[in-house]
Amino acid sequence: MSVSRRVFVKSGGLALVSLGLDPLFLARAAFASYHPLPPLAASDRPILVCLFQRGAVDGLNMVVPHGESLYYRERPRIAVPASEVVDLDGHFGLHPRLAALKPLWDNKSLGVIHAVGSPDSTRSHFDAQDYMESGTPGAKSTTDGWLNRYCQHDREHDDTPFRAVAFGPQLPRILAGSAPSLAIDDLQAFGLRAPQEAARDRLTRAFEELYAGSATGLLSSSSQEAFEAVQLLQQANPAQYRPDHDADYPRGRLGRSLQQIAQLIKANLGLQLAFADVTGWDTHVNQGASEGQLAARLAELGQGLAAFAQDLGERLRDVVVLTMSEFGRTIRENGNIGTDHGHATAMLVMGGPVNGGRVLGRWPGLDPASRFEGRDLAVTTDFRDLFGEVLARHLGATDLSAVFPGFTPDPTRFPGAIRG
Amino acid sequence: MLAALVLAFQSVCPTVRLSAQLSPHDSALHALDRLAYGPRPGEVDAVAAGGVMNWIDRQLSPDQLDDRLAAERAATFRILRYDSGDLARLYAAASEERRERQQQGARQPAMDSLAPPAQQGGKEEQMGRRLAGEVEQLVVVRAALSRRQLYEVMVDFWVNHFNVFFGKGADRVLVPSYIEETLRPRALGKFADLLIAAARSPALLFYLDNWQSVAPGSMPPALTRPRLQARPWFSRGRYVPGFSQEPARADSQRRRALERMPKGINENYARELLELHTLGVDGGYTQQDVIEVARILTGWSIKRPQQGGGFEFHDWAHDYGEKTVLGVRFPAGHGMDEGVRLLKLLASLPATMHHVSRKLCQRLVNDEPPDGCVDDAVAAWKRSSGDIREVVRAIVRGPDFWAPQNIGAKVKTPLEFVVSAVRAVGGDPDTTPRLAQVVARLGQPLYRHVAPDGYPEREEAWVNSGALLDRMNVAVALAAGRLPGVTVALDSVAPATGDAEQLIAAVNDGILGGTMSDNTRRVIRDELADARDPVAARALAVGLVLGGPEFQRQ
Repeated sequence: MSVSRRVFVKSGGLALVSLGLDPLFLARAAFASYHPLPPLAASDRPILVCLFQRGAVDGLNMVVPHGESLYYRERPRIAVPASEVVDLDGHFGLHPRLAALKPLWDNKSLGVIHAVGSPDSTRSHFDAQDYMESGTPGAKSTTDGWLNRYCQHDREHDDTPFRAVAFGPQLPRILAGSAPSLAIDDLQAFGLRAPQEAARDRLTRAFEELYAGSATGLLSSSSQEAFEAVQLLQQANPAQYRPDHDADYPRGRLGRSLQQIAQLIKANLGLQLAFADVTGWDTHVNQGASEGQLAARLAELGQGLAAFAQDLGERLRDVVVLTMSEFGRTIRENGNIGTDHGHATAMLVMGGPVNGGRVLGRWPGLDPASRFEGRDLAVTTDFRDLFGEVLARHLGATDLSAVFPGFTPDPTRFPGAIRG
Repeated sequence: MLAALVLAFQSVCPTVRLSAQLSPHDSALHALDRLAYGPRPGEVDAVAAGGVMNWIDRQLSPDQLDDRLAAERAATFRILRYDSGDLARLYAAASEERRERQQQGARQPAMDSLAPPAQQGGKEEQMGRRLAGEVEQLVVVRAALSRRQLYEVMVDFWVNHFNVFFGKGADRVLVPSYIEETLRPRALGKFADLLIAAARSPALLFYLDNWQSVAPGSMPPALTRPRLQARPWFSRGRYVPGFSQEPARADSQRRRALERMPKGINENYARELLELHTLGVDGGYTQQDVIEVARILTGWSIKRPQQGGGFEFHDWAHDYGEKTVLGVRFPAGHGMDEGVRLLKLLASLPATMHHVSRKLCQRLVNDEPPDGCVDDAVAAWKRSSGDIREVVRAIVRGPDFWAPQNIGAKVKTPLEFVVSAVRAVGGDPDTTPRLAQVVARLGQPLYRHVAPDGYPEREEAWVNSGALLDRMNVAVALAAGRLPGVTVALDSVAPATGDAEQLIAAVNDGILGGTMSDNTRRVIRDELADARDPVAARALAVGLVLGGPEFQRQ
């Protein structure tokens, strides 16, 4: 990475200002002209990893209110028996297949926020996911996602193309917007593909020269980002990665995503925000109790998070993992031994800065009188209060009202997920 | 008579004007870049020879263009032989299969997760997936092969303007007929007709929730009768053929159905109708206007979306009170007719003309549409009472379309990039969804933009580092004949030759229309320097050009 090229980018940006190009382009061009190279040395930059449980996870079987007899009365066939839950505090317990997370709970790096969700009443996956990613429940016209808005408003960290990375083939709505972010399906395949390494490097160089000399405007700055990212990643050598401390990631998409996130963190490329999807939570039919469909998904989640924590070791002190899901599921089991779309759910926070070892948020209870619309677990924590707290107290975000427009953040409503 | 004279004058005038600035060759290239999905080999010269304005006029009357090849290819897509009802039955059978599989899966977990996804599940599930893939691939095939290029461009514009997310519940059943029967036949017709057809389309009514927007306190007749014939509201649950015979049970079922009943108006469609489809976000409406529009459209619903039902007006759900929208009074006592009146009113308002014209200029001329272009379009809209064909004609004949600062000023969307690359190498896409998947991987999954605003028409949305690298990979693979789902004919672009200069000249002429920069020429020359195999050399040169910066622009 030569100095002269950085100068070229910067002066290129300045020249374009004088040409009177439009402000949106300039926003991106400004993003693209980096500060000095991110060092390939350990950094203590705080990192947030978001996992979206798409399909609406059954919060009541993930973090079981085993102290409530109503839970057992409403779910005769799918309740997790009190004798089998991993007890947390005498009232709540983890699903037995999340047992891998118990040590993290015990050392206070895992917390639960229960009865969290959206103030919007929709039970449509589509709408609710949309709202949770745009960060503006009820407003459909929001074009960008709240993670991207955070990047737009906190410019301190925009010195690397790896600042915000989504693991998957497409950029999710939560990261859509004017701040640059990467969608990476597979770290090892990021960059140009050719049968042999020499051919790949040559092709990369050829395209780099094509763009450096012939591209204009946004194509120029973005290609610059791209080749810089490729080069940085090559130094980190993702193909050689071995997890530390014998961490054993579960097979499947989630395990692969988490391992790649750990890889990027340890490569010190300046990652600040990572995002991955975890699917398979829409358990309308045969959801199972201690065993079964949901149990299998939870086992993968638990093993994945535990392996991630183990792999990161000391580095977990700067990392917070936050799970989210568009809504919860009905308190009462349905006719198909499953659950239908409900309202509030539970979210997990894990990592060094977490105020762990406790179930946070006000528990509304399962009593019919306190249910939402008479049937579902009521929301007592607006998801924006949880997300806002993590942004403010972990990442140091200063202007939450810009990240969540139309919402007045109030630290007194923060659930207390991050140690003060 | 006067109008005819004006038109006759206009049809000559721009040709004269543009010839002062652009050669026939360059204007043909520009027209093919913007009003088509890029030139096929030899097409720039053909259009230039016949006169670019003549080509545009023919493109504006697509019905008169012989399009047998594309039609024959489209006919091999099975999705076109399924109506919404067929699709609904197929998906119901598929989800029944899946349910059975899950029940078995509880005993014998994850058996078929080892199979490739396309082969997972039973016969109906596989068919459902295949047809869903065909819906997307059909877009790519028509864009690549149709001779009615401007028509396909306009279809894409309206699909985006009236965006529906394919992945929302019943919409995967309803979208195919929405495309084929609602939007395509009206893509160059009157805007008001398009607006009304979209408003009546089950796909849009479902997507924007209007189908369950009801006057507060209203109740379907079925729920007031002792027995219900069918479960009225779409949900994921199994189709329940009626209430129980047993009175106590029937009562509880009826109570549950009542709890699920929509209780009042849903403003979702009303708001997007004003904000996105007609007036625009600054179009001068208020929240109260949104509410009044929603009231007018109560009862615009769907027979049974889960079964792929058609449009149905529910008079029991309609609000028959008086409403006022944008100061216009809609007297009490009217039913569906006042909705049609409202849509016609919206289609004729200056804010709508301006908003939609601006989007058209943004699509066809520049991300930042020139005022003059918008003015020309609005004037044509007024003159022709919203005839889209005439609005497009005005934009294309206006000076802005041909202005030097607008040539090559737009970055291609992923769809435009993939299709123009396929066309540039004389490619022939197959009916598998693989090319559509490439478009998706580059960031534009077709019919899967979740928000109602549709894909943006601005370069910031498409140009990012990951997507750019992917474009380069796609280009190299396509040129090498390794991109799955398409066969290429590089011989139609350039001969496989060991003469680097000849090769570069042919690729420049055939793919970039002669716009290759000196830097690009130099880089390719360097790369060809030690290429021994002429076939590989040609693939490399074509790949670098398709993946390079010039080809990303139009």
